[in-house]
Amino acid sequence: MTLRAQLNMITALVLGGSGFAAYSAYETRQELESYDQVMNDSMETRSVLLMIEDLPYHDDTFRRLQLEKDRLKEPDRKAAFGKAVTLYAAKNPMELRRAIRKGLKVEAEHYNKNRGQRAAIQARFEKLALVAIGILTMGLLLVMATVHATIFKGLQRLSRRMLDFLVDRYSFQFSQPDESELGDLQRTFNSLAQRVINTTDELKRLDSAKSEFLSIASHELRTPMTSIKGSLSLLASGVIGQLDVGSLRLIKIAEGETDRLIRLINDLLDLAKIESGGLPLHLNWVQWDEFCGKTLDGLSGLAHKADVRLELVSLPAVEVNIDRDRLQQVLTNLVSNAVKFSPKGGAVRVTLSRAKTGELVVSVTDSGPGIKTEDREMIFEKFRQGTSAANPLVKGTGLGLAIAKALVAEHGGSIGVESTVGVGSTFWFSLPKWRENEVARVA
Amino acid sequence: MHILLAEDDPAVSIVIQICLEKIGGHTVQLVTDGAAAVSLAQRESFDLIVLDGMMPYKSGLQAATEIRSSGIVSTPIIFLSAKNDERDIQAFLSLGVGFIPKPFEPTQICAKIEAILAAARAQGAS
Repeated sequence: MTLRAQLNMITALVLGGSGFAAYSAYETRQELESYDQVMNDSMETRSVLLMIEDLPYHDDTFRRLQLEKDRLKEPDRKAAFGKAVTLYAAKNPMELRRAIRKGLKVEAEHYNKNRGQRAAIQARFEKLALVAIGILTMGLLLVMATVHATIFKGLQRLSRRMLDFLVDRYSFQFSQPDESELGDLQRTFNSLAQRVINTTDELKRLDSAKSEFLSIASHELRTPMTSIKGSLSLLASGVIGQLDVGSLRLIKIAEGETDRLIRLINDLLDLAKIESGGLPLHLNWVQWDEFCGKTLDGLSGLAHKADVRLELVSLPAVEVNIDRDRLQQVLTNLVSNAVKFSPKGGAVRVTLSRAKTGELVVSVTDSGPGIKTEDREMIFEKFRQGTSAANPLVKGTGLGLAIAKALVAEHGGSIGVESTVGVGSTFWFSLPKWRENEVARVA
Repeated sequence: MHILLAEDDPAVSIVIQICLEKIGGHTVQLVTDGAAAVSLAQRESFDLIVLDGMMPYKSGLQAATEIRSSGIVSTPIIFLSAKNDERDIQAFLSLGVGFIPKPFEPTQICAKIEAILAAARAQGAS
């Protein structure tokens, strides 16, 4: 049965009971009033009887007494009163006194009988009122019990099930809802939960499909690149046979572009992996000076070719909590960019400093052409790069800064650039997890 | 050196074979799947086995496991693979002495193989 029907039924019972109680209260009052009237009449008759003895005879009085007698309905009262009036007219005081006594007795009996009946009715009414109060109280208690058992308990059960779902979605048990309004609520919630589970399963499926795609794509793209690059490289090396200058130039172009394509594939796959969370960081405490020095060593060939000096400005004895390989990718990217855009004879400076917020900030400053204000956000997006590379030593893929941004974000830091056109640019990124090296501090 | 090369992609296998023979001066026996690599390794003795990671019938890892379990324990194994997930690399290094990711620089592959073998020898000696 629905809750609404249950509550309606209880309300109807209580309302019916109250109506009946009110009606019988009205009826009883009417009845009691009529008894009061009868008793008052009897009292009056008694006082008339008491007066008769002392009254001097008078025709008018006699007529009034006759009228008084006619009003009386009960035959015994009428007879007794009538006798007294007759004896009053006969002027027989002795007999009159006896008749009056008899009349008074009859009136007393009449009065007492009515008083007894009135008391019985009142007692019955009081009992009825008690029963009515009892029924009302029971009704209210029943309403409370119903509300408690169905609504409150039901809501509590439902909210517990919702919590279960929230905490442990996959072992969620769908229970059979009952036929009440709360059952409807639970049905709705079950459909909702089913949809969440379906969506989650779908997302999981898509995620694993994406991982599989990445894995296949990386194999299928790299395998042909291996033979293309291998063939070109073997041709250029002269192992197969010497080439003329024109052919060699074309082969070198093809080789260079193949290298660029390979970098692009690697960058794309890296970025896809980072973005899908498939590249978990292996965090370790790393000595910054050693890490930065090694990374710059790896870039010294490039810097030498471009005739650009690399400078390192550091803080003493700092350790950072990083994934070494990934952060090396970030730093290499920023420094090689800086080298690419620096003029011959210029310098690129890598600075470690402490920000006011307590984070470590790594800055890479070049003396390149600078970046226009409107381009400063855009260069961190995919496939966006400065087009006016004055020193195109290595053509970029347009993904380096996007990867750097993603990797820095995975380390919990942020990345940005400050630049003055014609003076140079400073690319910076922050590292929130760092400490001073204890061994060095003690020493 | 006498090298067993297992590589299913014909274009890649030609490039590697040329590198090993023309640049390194080695002799190469080429097979194109994992099962053939296992049976050839059991029939002939080699100085080095180079296995591609993904091959038909038996993957490079499966082939290496079977070669090792058939009693050929001292011949060094080097893997080539286009899959360079850390998990894959870990698996390769647990069975072989080295791993060369694809695409590689063909003119340097011989030097790289020499370096891997030298490192393995040094580790074996120490």
